Amino acid sequence: MKSGDTTKPPGAGLQRPVDPVTLEVIRNALNAAAEEMSLIVMRSARSPLLREAGDLSSALTDADGYLVAQGRDIPMHLGVMSFTVREFLKRVPRERLAPGDVWFLNLPEIGGNHLPDVKAIRPIYVDGSIRAFAVSLAHWADTGGARPGSYVADAVDAWQEGLRIPPLRLFSAAGADREKLEFVLANVRGAPEREGDILAQMAATRAAEERVQQIYATHGSAESTAAIAAIHDRAEAQMRAALEAVPDGVYTGEDWLDDDAAGGPPVAVRVRVTVQGDHATFDFTATDDAARGPVNTTPYIAAASVFYVVKALFGPDIQPSGGCYRPLEIVTRPGSLLDPGPERPVVGGNHETSQRIADALFLAFEAIGPQRLSAGGPTTSGLMLFGGRRSDGAWTTLYETHGGGEGARHDRDGAPVIRVHMSNVMNTPVEVIEAEYPIRIECQKLRHGSGGAGRHRGGEGLHREYRILGEEMSVTSMFERRVVPPYGLQGGLPGAPFQVTVVTHDGRAYALPGKANIRLGAGDLVIVESCGGGGYGARQADSPPDADIQSKELKA
Amino acid sequence: MPARWTVGIDIGGTFTDVVAVRSDDRCVRAAKVPTRTDDRVAGLLAALAAIDLAWTDVSDLVHGTTMVTNAIVEGDLARVALVTTQGFADTLAIGRQNRRHLYRLDLPPKIEPLVPAARRYEVRERLDHEGRVLRPLDPDSVEEVVAALSGSGASAVAVSLLHAYADPSHEESLGTRLRQHFPFVALSNRINPEAREYERTATTVLSAAVMPLAAGYLDRLEQARPDSSRLHLFHSAGGMASPDAIRETPLALALSGPAAGVAAASRTARELGLDSVISFDMGGTTTDVCLILDGEAQISGHRTLADRPLRQPMVAVESIGAGGGSIARVDHGALVVGPDSAGATPGPACYGRGGALPTVTDASLLLGHLDAQRTIGGRLRLDPAAARTAIDSLARAMAMDVEAAALGVLTVVNAAMVQALRRVTVERGIDGRRCVLLAFGGAGPMHAVDVARAFGIARVVVPAHSSAFSALGCVSARMSYSQQRTVRMAAGHWDATRIEAARAALRARLSAPLCAAGVDPADIEIEEVAAIRYRGQSYAIEITDPCFADPAALGAAFYARHELLYGFVTGEPWELVAIRQRASARDRHVAIGGPPPGAASAQPPASWTSCVFDGAGARPTPRHDRARLVVGQALAGPCIVEDDWSTVIVPPGASLTVDAFGHLHIDTGIER
Repeated sequence: MKSGDTTKPPGAGLQRPVDPVTLEVIRNALNAAAEEMSLIVMRSARSPLLREAGDLSSALTDADGYLVAQGRDIPMHLGVMSFTVREFLKRVPRERLAPGDVWFLNLPEIGGNHLPDVKAIRPIYVDGSIRAFAVSLAHWADTGGARPGSYVADAVDAWQEGLRIPPLRLFSAAGADREKLEFVLANVRGAPEREGDILAQMAATRAAEERVQQIYATHGSAESTAAIAAIHDRAEAQMRAALEAVPDGVYTGEDWLDDDAAGGPPVAVRVRVTVQGDHATFDFTATDDAARGPVNTTPYIAAASVFYVVKALFGPDIQPSGGCYRPLEIVTRPGSLLDPGPERPVVGGNHETSQRIADALFLAFEAIGPQRLSAGGPTTSGLMLFGGRRSDGAWTTLYETHGGGEGARHDRDGAPVIRVHMSNVMNTPVEVIEAEYPIRIECQKLRHGSGGAGRHRGGEGLHREYRILGEEMSVTSMFERRVVPPYGLQGGLPGAPFQVTVVTHDGRAYALPGKANIRLGAGDLVIVESCGGGGYGARQADSPPDADIQSKELKA
Repeated sequence: MPARWTVGIDIGGTFTDVVAVRSDDRCVRAAKVPTRTDDRVAGLLAALAAIDLAWTDVSDLVHGTTMVTNAIVEGDLARVALVTTQGFADTLAIGRQNRRHLYRLDLPPKIEPLVPAARRYEVRERLDHEGRVLRPLDPDSVEEVVAALSGSGASAVAVSLLHAYADPSHEESLGTRLRQHFPFVALSNRINPEAREYERTATTVLSAAVMPLAAGYLDRLEQARPDSSRLHLFHSAGGMASPDAIRETPLALALSGPAAGVAAASRTARELGLDSVISFDMGGTTTDVCLILDGEAQISGHRTLADRPLRQPMVAVESIGAGGGSIARVDHGALVVGPDSAGATPGPACYGRGGALPTVTDASLLLGHLDAQRTIGGRLRLDPAAARTAIDSLARAMAMDVEAAALGVLTVVNAAMVQALRRVTVERGIDGRRCVLLAFGGAGPMHAVDVARAFGIARVVVPAHSSAFSALGCVSARMSYSQQRTVRMAAGHWDATRIEAARAALRARLSAPLCAAGVDPADIEIEEVAAIRYRGQSYAIEITDPCFADPAALGAAFYARHELLYGFVTGEPWELVAIRQRASARDRHVAIGGPPPGAASAQPPASWTSCVFDGAGARPTPRHDRARLVVGQALAGPCIVEDDWSTVIVPPGASLTVDAFGHLHIDTGIER
């Protein structure tokens, strides 16, 4: 991964080939098992973030930790989970694992992204040997640290961001390890809710274990293992075919973060892509140095973004699997924004910088045909956290992402209020927010006029107003596209930038920075206006705005 | 002569099924005729004529229809105007902000709202989540909206005010005013009194959008109906409703078709005393699977139809986009079946209508499962050479012989079915292998045994009248109305008075149409389900026959169910989130006569053909005419039983017996 570490799943080609029928049956069964895991977490977890917004993902890997199946979840998570088990196995040799184990971890440097995304890993044994791993990733609504919700906007090191969990065996065949569990729960807010989330993740991996064991019982060990190897080979072939169709050449792209999350100037993500035959190198060496604030991210996130963009542009049907990464080489520079080392804060980089990497990659490929691309969209989570105590005294955090206008395309306008690219987390309904948090939503509407003009217009952003009802709430922002707006393409204009305004109960109004922690009280108002999408194509100055409609009528 | 037939008619997209039962002697008549989409009333009369009945012979006609479903799928919908709370007119355009396709930039990420901005209106009013009035409904703003609506060009109005599930009074008074000007008004508290404004609003708008269509059709039906005959419609939750109730909530017909099949399966499960059944309805393009416990289909409250959210009590059918028409291809070394389908046009290669791609049906014909000598429905003759050519292309791509390729297609599509069976059972905490698979639909009985074996099921039933099964479901239905209402209450703050008030209101609303239809209140049966979760969970667990008077017992029931479903329980507090009721008219069970006319004694097979079931190659296989089987007859696999509409495959190792009702029982021969 780092600096050309394109390690291959071992053993490929050693097994006898599996027939196309068995391959398909086992592939579908593994995917279904991963989807079932996600359903279990959504249904039984406690935090609204998991149940309402679906901020979770599930995967199965082979015995060496290479991804073989995933649920239909969040591209960012799924990319990262391609690496989690492999990095885990470097720290925890397989001799230390046993049937019934479930290990939890959240360290970004172990195939991770940021502390709130906690991974539960279960080795799956058949006849005494590990055949697979189940991984359940769930965004915990709190992992401790300086602020409710564990988004510390002014963090300058990794330890300020919350509880750092190295691989920790929370469950074994004998059941929960209460001491370790209590240690974790003692360090996070909302312990009862967190315990529910932990149990949900554990239950999901147990269901996966049962499914994989059924697959082995039905098809036999040799056939099942051969099918898993063939899944990698097939994905590799798909990826190579997709790259083969991309003209050979060197493509460069760049895009900017608003700032370094510590008051500095915009920070550049730069990529140089070299496509040669059925292989491609993505070199991020020219990206700026690590930021002081929490917009750094990990090489695993860089890889996730690369995989997403290649799949979206060139091969939507490519099966995500360890094999896909074989023809991809991803290079990051130690000390840079994308490879900052374990001491830097990273919490926002997960969903902000990952999107900026995707933008830089898309712009690199504009050269081979802008009609493949969408103009700039809401490539930010638009995240606002509202943390406080409920009337019953329990800690609660509303973690709300805000979609914006989709970028326009060569053949259509952008859609209003949507999540794009690396994430797909839903909003929380007004009627749920008002029932569960001391907040009233004064209005939610389209942010009219925010979409960038062009031959096709960018989609409209969102306008939503939060009235604080509780005595004291901690409010955290973590959003981008406030300074650097979503770009237009081919002469289309950029979308309106993101903005959040605070109006205090006594009528003072001020713009909230993109990364801030503040305290608000009863009567204060937070107005979120998410960015509009970029436009596509120059609008002819001498033709009316609806020239397209008119020309259609003329043809008819 | 008095009308004495009870008739079920299910009008599907292609065929109309009819089943009639005579009340005095249980005589049964059944037929299948092509659907007339140009004039549905004429089509209904033609279906009656096909079984030699006039409408005057009919005492009760229960009617299922895909009319509403098709209108939604094809976007053939009325222009709707929407009225919301001030500040929330765009809720429909905002949706849940997630996109439909993770990796497809070219496709629009969300569906266009049914109501464009120009027809969205706001009134000044506001409730909180407990129904307290934060701002009274402003009469001036109501008049402004009424005035504006008149020029909007809308033919139906949907009203969805924030938190209307907690107190309907603002919506109701608005509705009263609007009905003075507009014939079609849908109120969200009546269509879907549950929290989450986007889903409730979208459901209400969708219901408004089919009101004119449903009303027009019901008007024509009522004109054609003789006074001596009663008309009922078959709704998505598996019961029948009066025309007047359907005029108000036509969206209740959205799943009418699949619900009728599931209702017939439930009836069969009750008749046979089977406590755990999975219905398996495989057609040309989709397969519907539903879990039936103790003779009752499981109900779910939400799904999507044509990418639009739909929140209504509906039979919990899991639909997968695979069926006889699913196209097979080899993609980078894997044999992939579907999601593309050849549909009815051009159809599988063997239909000879221009399709050349290999489908599941082509594989079945090539292996001899379908009989090349028979015609489907007396009309369509199959072309085995075309099937072989199509499958041969697959075989060459996989370096297999053509029979192995065809078997592979069946294996892959059956494996997809197995995943659907797993989903409907795991979701309810049921060990699916203990279930009986009840197979119907054009392709269901052909695949059932292989699907059952792959899942570990020992027993398959192919019911009598399986070719007009949906109509049978209509005939067996009870009159019932269901609704789910949000009632949030923490275990620690139990307010029995508030619960009683909510239950009574629900009971009154659901009983009203029954009373209006002449049902004695003493004959109304109320069934209840409580939706309970840990405080903070999203998905609630359903507890049937909840004991609301005793929260401790209710809590214990919840913990037990949670342990069963998820394998763990914590000591955290729980809360009630919703109550669902079904009000039904007590037993109006239409008994159906004994076995269909069969032969007096066991007959020899109608023919022998060569069939392939597994890697062991072709074997001579007897084909039996289903109409000529006799009660108690036992057949050992391999054999095939067929009629004009379906083919039952009994592979080697399985065996079949015929019971006194004409149901076919198949022992799949696997070890349990």
